[in-house]
Formats: sequence, C-alpha cells, structure tokens
Amino acid sequence: MNGVHDLGGMHGMGPIDPEANEPVFHDEWERRVFGVVIATFGGGNYDVDQFRHAIELMGAANYLSTSYYEHWLHMVETLMVENGTITRDELDAEQAKLAKEAA
Amino acid sequence: MAVVTADMVAELSATGASCRLDETATPRFSVGDHIVVRNINPPGHTRMPRYVRGKRGVVQRDHGVFIFPDTNAHAQGEKPQHVYSVRFTPSELWGGDASDRDSIYIDMWDDYMDLQG
Amino acid sequence: MAKHDHTHEHTAPPSDPALRVKALESLLLEKGVIDAEALDEIIDTYENKTGPRNGAAVVARAWVDPDYKKRLLEDGTGAIAEMGFSGIQGEDMLVVENTAEVHNMVVCTLCSCYPWPTLGLPPVWYKAAPYRSRAVSDPRGVLAEFGVEIADDTEVRVWDSNAELRYLVLPVRPEGTDGMSEDELAAMVTRDSMIGTGVIQAPK
Repeated sequence: MNGVHDLGGMHGMGPIDPEANEPVFHDEWERRVFGVVIATFGGGNYDVDQFRHAIELMGAANYLSTSYYEHWLHMVETLMVENGTITRDELDAEQAKLAKEAA
Repeated sequence: MAVVTADMVAELSATGASCRLDETATPRFSVGDHIVVRNINPPGHTRMPRYVRGKRGVVQRDHGVFIFPDTNAHAQGEKPQHVYSVRFTPSELWGGDASDRDSIYIDMWDDYMDLQG
Repeated sequence: MAKHDHTHEHTAPPSDPALRVKALESLLLEKGVIDAEALDEIIDTYENKTGPRNGAAVVARAWVDPDYKKRLLEDGTGAIAEMGFSGIQGEDMLVVENTAEVHNMVVCTLCSCYPWPTLGLPPVWYKAAPYRSRAVSDPRGVLAEFGVEIADDTEVRVWDSNAELRYLVLPVRPEGTDGMSEDELAAMVTRDSMIGTGVIQAPK
C-alpha cells in the first residue's frame, strides 16, 4: 500500500538527532510491549508480514506522531483482536478498570 | 498456538523465524541482468518501496528462495520465489544532477521485476 | 482488507501506552496466551544479553583472522553463528565490507529492520522518519549529520533492508592498531560503524 510508512526519498521529516548513550528502552511500558510482542510472535500468533501490515494500517497521522513501540502496541492489540484471542470490548473494559484504579 | 515459557526463550531468540524457504523455485533472473521494476500500486502489503517503481537496475546477487510477503500477509500463500540484491544509480532513482559515484542496493523478489525490453 | 482499517483513536484516557500495554498484558496472562516469567526473560535477553558488543566481537575477529573474514563475507549467517550469535532478526545475514573504494551504510526505509543478534535493538533515530526518508536519497548529507565525511572518489553504497536479509557493515580497521589484541580491537568498534553511519577513529 502507498502508506506513509514508505518513507524513502521523502523530504521534510526533520533532523536525525541521535541520542548519546541511548538506553535500550526509555520506559517500563516499552519493555512490556517488547515482551508481549516477542512472546506472542514466538508463540505463532502472527507472522512478520501480518505484523508489518498491521502497522502500515494504523493511519498516516497516527503513524507519524507515535513512537516505534506505540506502533508495536497498536499491531499486537489489532492482531490479537483479529485472531479472536481477545475482543476490543475486553480491552476497553480492562483499560477502564486500570484507569479507575490509577485515578 | 504455543505459549512461550521462560525456558524456551533462549532457543526462540537464537533460532528466530527465517522467511527463507528450503525449496526450489526457478529463478527468473541471473546476476548481471538489467531489470526494470514493475510499476505496481497494490492496496495491500508490499515490500517494494515507491522510490524504485518503474526504475532500472542491475541484479548483483541471488539470495535464494523466500516467502513472498505480498501474498503471505493476506493469507494467499507463501508463493516461494527468489530474492535478489539489485543495484540502482542515484540519477535513475532521483533524477536531476544526482551523482552516480554512489549507489543504492535493495532486495527485490522475482514478482517485482521484468527484464529491460 | 477493510476490516483491518480501524485506527481506533482513543481521545480521553485510557490512551497512554503504559495503561494500554498493562491492560493487554493482563488479559493475555489471564487467558494463558503469554507467560509472565517468559516476558521477563525476553526483556532481559534483549536489554542485557545482546547489543553491539556482539557485532564488535565479529568485526575484531574478522580483522585478526583472514580465514574468518573470508567466511564472514561469503556466509555471514554461518560465520556470525560461529561466534554464538544468531536468531530473531538475524536469521539471514549479509556482511558488507568497507574499503578505501566503498563505504556501506544500512537503512530500512519501510520499517526498522536491523540485525538484532549482532547489534541489539535499534536506536530511536534508526527507526524514525528523518533517517529512513533521507538515507537513500541523500546519504552524504545524512553522513555529514553524523560528522562523517567520505572521500569524493569513494562510492557510498546504501543498503535498504526491505526484504529478509539483515546487513552488518564490516568497518575499516583503523591505522595504528597493529599490536592490539582482539579484545582491544573489539572495544574500539562502535555501533554506528557497523550501521555505516560512523567510522572508527585511529587511536591517539
């Protein structure tokens, strides 16, 4: 698909801005996303092509304004709902429960 | 569906999941072939970036047989085929006064290319 | 394919990724799809047990052992596995050698493909739009942003890892390192030199 993920040759994306002594993960939630993705990928819930395509379908503005591990999170939520492991309603309910607990 | 347990992690990590296929497929191209990339705009998944579509390059190396992502992503089969390293010049890709001392190498499946006519 | 096309924008909380992953993890644990100890092991493996020092060991070995270097350039996956590195996102490796004539540089314009067994997980800049957009169209400009200047008569060769091959750059061994041990050499090898966005400086 002619998505915004297909970045080669585009202009206007800004400076590269490498971070000195960058840590492997920047936050605990990135670790959790990485763990959940490798565990579900390694368990055969989806393959690399489904993985990439789910990220391509996340919407152009959303893709460009979110980080790599947010792309991964979107992917694993989408594919685990599509394969019937969980439902969107279950996810929404669990998020609401956790938000309430944290409030 | 397997559940990955802690004792499986080392092997999972060290083995991975190669998309290389242990089967034969007749290669459509040979090293040195002058090719043109197909100008396709599939609405689904593809690993052919827009910047090489319709461009001319030269096959440098045959990597062997791999799963074809454009069909596999949509449960339409692995469609085993060869993948090649293909060299493009900057002026072919970007036009203008791009210098041809440099080069861009990209990997192309059989179904992405035709011989230059 | 239309069924995939739900961007599912959350507006009010819960929208933050920390909450979302917590919810997902807890549901998948409850359903027995993932295992908590496995998650910890996965995170530890990629945070602490893999990283550019793996690739640096490969490079140093190639610099001191011409037979190894020959195998590395002919069969990257096999030669890297000899050093104990293999697996996810390094299943099929190709090692490309920098020389006075050619400077290699690696990008993934479509996503963020990167050789995990030898370099670990990629830095943010490698995964972000600025590098991915310009590496193929203005490699010398990108290199300049990294403070790297390549001679006019050297070919800059950019590798877009759009397929399942993963690329590792074998950097040029700096001058003045003849007496150094393999371990000392490995300590000089930087992550960026193995992506091709850095060169290794000669010791002072």
